[in-house]
Amino acid sequence: MSQSILVAVAVAYLLLLFAVAWLVERGSGRVSRLTGSSIVYTLSLAVYCSSWTFNGGVGKASQTGLDFLPIYLGPTLAFCLGPIMIRRMLRISHANRITSIADLIGARFGKSGGLAALVTIITVIGLVPYIALQLKSISVGFSALSAGFGPAQPASEPMLTDGALWAAVVLTIFAMLFGSRSISPDEHHPGMVVAVALESLLKLVFLTAIGLFVGYGLFNGFGDLFSRAATIPDIQAVFQEAPANYGYNWIAMTFLAFAAIFCLPRQFQVMVVENTDERHLDRALWLFPLYLLAINLFVLPIAIAGRIMLPADTDPDNLVLSLPLAAGHPELALIAFLGGLSASASMVVVETTALSLMVCNDVVMPALLRIRSLGLEHKPDLTRLLLWVRRLVMIVVMALGYFYMRHDSAPFALVSIGLMSFVAVAQFAPAILGGLFWRGASKAGAFAGITTGFLVWFYTLLIPSFSRSGALGEEFIAHGLFGIELLKPYALFGLEGLDPVTHSTFWTMLANIGAFFFVSLFVRQSPVERARAAMFLGVADPDEEARFWRRTALVPDLMSLTARFLGREKAAAAYAGFARTRGVDPATAVQADAETVLFYERLLAGVIGAASARVLVGSIVEEESLGVDEMMRILDETSRVIEANRQLEEKSQALEAATTELKAANARLQVLDRLKDDFVVTVNHELRTPLASIRAFSEILRDNPDLPTDERLDFLRIVVTESERLTRLINQLLDLSKIEATGSMPADRASVDLAAVVRESAAAMQQVFAQSRVKLAIEIDADPAFVVGDHDRLVQVVINLLGNAAKFSPPGRGKALLALRRAGEHLELSVTDNGPGIRTEDREVVFERFRQLGDTMSDKPQGAGLGLAISQRIVAQHGGRIWVEGSREGGAVFKVRLKAARTKAPAAGRIRVPAG
Amino acid sequence: MVGLFAAGTILLNPPILNLVGGTLFGWPALYLYLFVVWGLLIAVIGLISESSPGQANERDKDSASR
Repeated sequence: MSQSILVAVAVAYLLLLFAVAWLVERGSGRVSRLTGSSIVYTLSLAVYCSSWTFNGGVGKASQTGLDFLPIYLGPTLAFCLGPIMIRRMLRISHANRITSIADLIGARFGKSGGLAALVTIITVIGLVPYIALQLKSISVGFSALSAGFGPAQPASEPMLTDGALWAAVVLTIFAMLFGSRSISPDEHHPGMVVAVALESLLKLVFLTAIGLFVGYGLFNGFGDLFSRAATIPDIQAVFQEAPANYGYNWIAMTFLAFAAIFCLPRQFQVMVVENTDERHLDRALWLFPLYLLAINLFVLPIAIAGRIMLPADTDPDNLVLSLPLAAGHPELALIAFLGGLSASASMVVVETTALSLMVCNDVVMPALLRIRSLGLEHKPDLTRLLLWVRRLVMIVVMALGYFYMRHDSAPFALVSIGLMSFVAVAQFAPAILGGLFWRGASKAGAFAGITTGFLVWFYTLLIPSFSRSGALGEEFIAHGLFGIELLKPYALFGLEGLDPVTHSTFWTMLANIGAFFFVSLFVRQSPVERARAAMFLGVADPDEEARFWRRTALVPDLMSLTARFLGREKAAAAYAGFARTRGVDPATAVQADAETVLFYERLLAGVIGAASARVLVGSIVEEESLGVDEMMRILDETSRVIEANRQLEEKSQALEAATTELKAANARLQVLDRLKDDFVVTVNHELRTPLASIRAFSEILRDNPDLPTDERLDFLRIVVTESERLTRLINQLLDLSKIEATGSMPADRASVDLAAVVRESAAAMQQVFAQSRVKLAIEIDADPAFVVGDHDRLVQVVINLLGNAAKFSPPGRGKALLALRRAGEHLELSVTDNGPGIRTEDREVVFERFRQLGDTMSDKPQGAGLGLAISQRIVAQHGGRIWVEGSREGGAVFKVRLKAARTKAPAAGRIRVPAG
Repeated sequence: MVGLFAAGTILLNPPILNLVGGTLFGWPALYLYLFVVWGLLIAVIGLISESSPGQANERDKDSASR
């Protein structure tokens, strides 16, 4: 194929892309509506698949089998964490108008300009080989197509006929046109995004077309392809029995790709900066991995086909082109070339755009602003300066890439060069992830981590890459620095058996993470850093930043400052929008409060980076010096409020529990109080009744000395009886209070024979029963029946019960039974009468004090109502139980159950002489 | 999603990866294994992220109110 046709096709293709981008930026017709779709967003993410995927992946697959895949598995895994990781990055970047990876790191660690500049410089150094790689791939493809096929050595051609040079020039122009057409605060490049998306679509279609052609055009389907591959032992060894080879390098590459998907400047550009709507991410989360899967589906078949059909000395990175050519389909080869061109072009354009932004905002502008003699502060319009700085950076980066390629890259395969860049940018991953999720990550730590990681990278990958191409000599690799074996760059400290990339990944990450972690632990964060950390971790609201720096300024000052970088119209429009949301009239407001200042700073940050914006705004605002103490106070407020909340909650729970307890106690107290009142009233009543009758009869006797003797004796007898009753009552009250005061322990603990108690009590009550004309029968089934307790008290209980039986049994035909028997471990004492009985509902209450059954108004009280109460307490003190049942004849049965004593020997038993 | 990440990391890395070898239906088994696991992983991500748009909407409101 002639060279001129090839050039014409390539240029026409690029022009087509440019036309699409131009239409989008013009905002005309349907094309411009594409910008806001999640599909375009996803496809633009696919800028990840550079020519490296298109040509290098196939090349690698043909050499070592499937281990090109981790490069695409890593991003898939990263997207598994997307809702947490990427979303947070998106949100923070939008809130702070962060426009590059350097900005992100700088902003997280206290808006540090130095850190941002360091990141930028490392990125440029790290990515130059990567850009060189794209150029190399274009030039190799170009020469392969124009010269038939075979090993290509672009470096041997004269410069002017080198396709890579022209590619570099065209792509630089392309990047300048897309990436730095104008200055806008959000750094959106919708035209570029749509063009990149289109290229992504084309490269997928082209690679799939070639894959299908290989599968069905050159072979009878993929099964045929694989079975033919199996017959060649050489290939089989690589593709089918390789698994044992995948060890650390597979893991290292997965990790590198995982980091690259958010650390590569071009990925950050399309994923974060160009993102217009957070919801697009939802779809991209699975659509982008799907794209990666689709584009890799045919890589292995193509690689195998290449191995089968092409001579062994074919440049493996050219398989995609060589296969169709060898099969006699130059038009397919052209398609393959355009696919590779798409991949390279989009990568280079986005990468240089992102790099130019970083270099301009984080290195050049801060430096220029510091140089007083330039007088930049007083220039009315700096937008043109900004644009030209960026364009210049693009040219420089591209030139560096080109010269690196011509000098160095020839002996390397595409994938190796690309991986070198991956390791370089992976140095930012600890700082970014740490910054997003670890509050303690400090600026010093980030500085230390990135620097050490980069130095190790420089030593273990970059320098050897020069020396391998002859600049430093093989000595260095073979014997280490100064001939010290331990310092061999590919086997540092004797670590051998790993390939250079895995080896370097291990050492850089070890140094980087170690330094980052330990320095962060031991170096205190400055207040500004702590404030930023809180913001990045979502503890503090981004707008709370206004509270940390109470800055005031005049709106016109801010306006003119912003207008110099952004252009007056855009600045005015942006401020008008902001003023509307705050309900301020943009025309009249003069004094800018802290929030307004913050708004302007962020607006500027979008154009010239956070660090520069801070310096610039700082030059015109009046900053209230906010003491460290106060800063800390504001900062810690949130956490203190949370803590206080938690404590309050705990306290209220404790209070609630206490309240419940108190309520219960109160209820008990109220019952007791009522009982006490009842008691007092009853005692009052019980004492008054006998007193009143004694008094009444005494007065009658006093006032009527001439009463007949009979009557007088009668009255005196009543007085005596009532006095006796009073005495008895008082005795019983004393008894009760004594029992209640002693608590649950019996007053005396001795072995007591209940049978003796029964006999004794019955003898004592003999007279009472005789007077009441009630028969008393006694049944003793257990004799002796020992319990532990107080003899006198137990006698009192039996006498009480017998007294009641005598009282309530009908005189004349009354029958009472006192029985004692054994019931298992217990002894049961029962007193049965044939009186009126006790109603079921009253059976509990008879044991309460002064509880007298029946109508107390009409019936003459037949006792103080304390007997049963006293009995119940005595029994309780003995650990027993007293209750009442109904007897068969309708009377009441009082039963007492006490625990039998184990020892039957009445050793300590007191022998009581029955009284009376 | 974190669980998915862990599962994917384990399944798509050595040493689990090295358990798969030989051929299946005349295709390299490892090739099939990788793409099937990968595809499944993507399907699960898709199911999760598409079925819980409420989460995203809520967050949108959240960021809009700022």
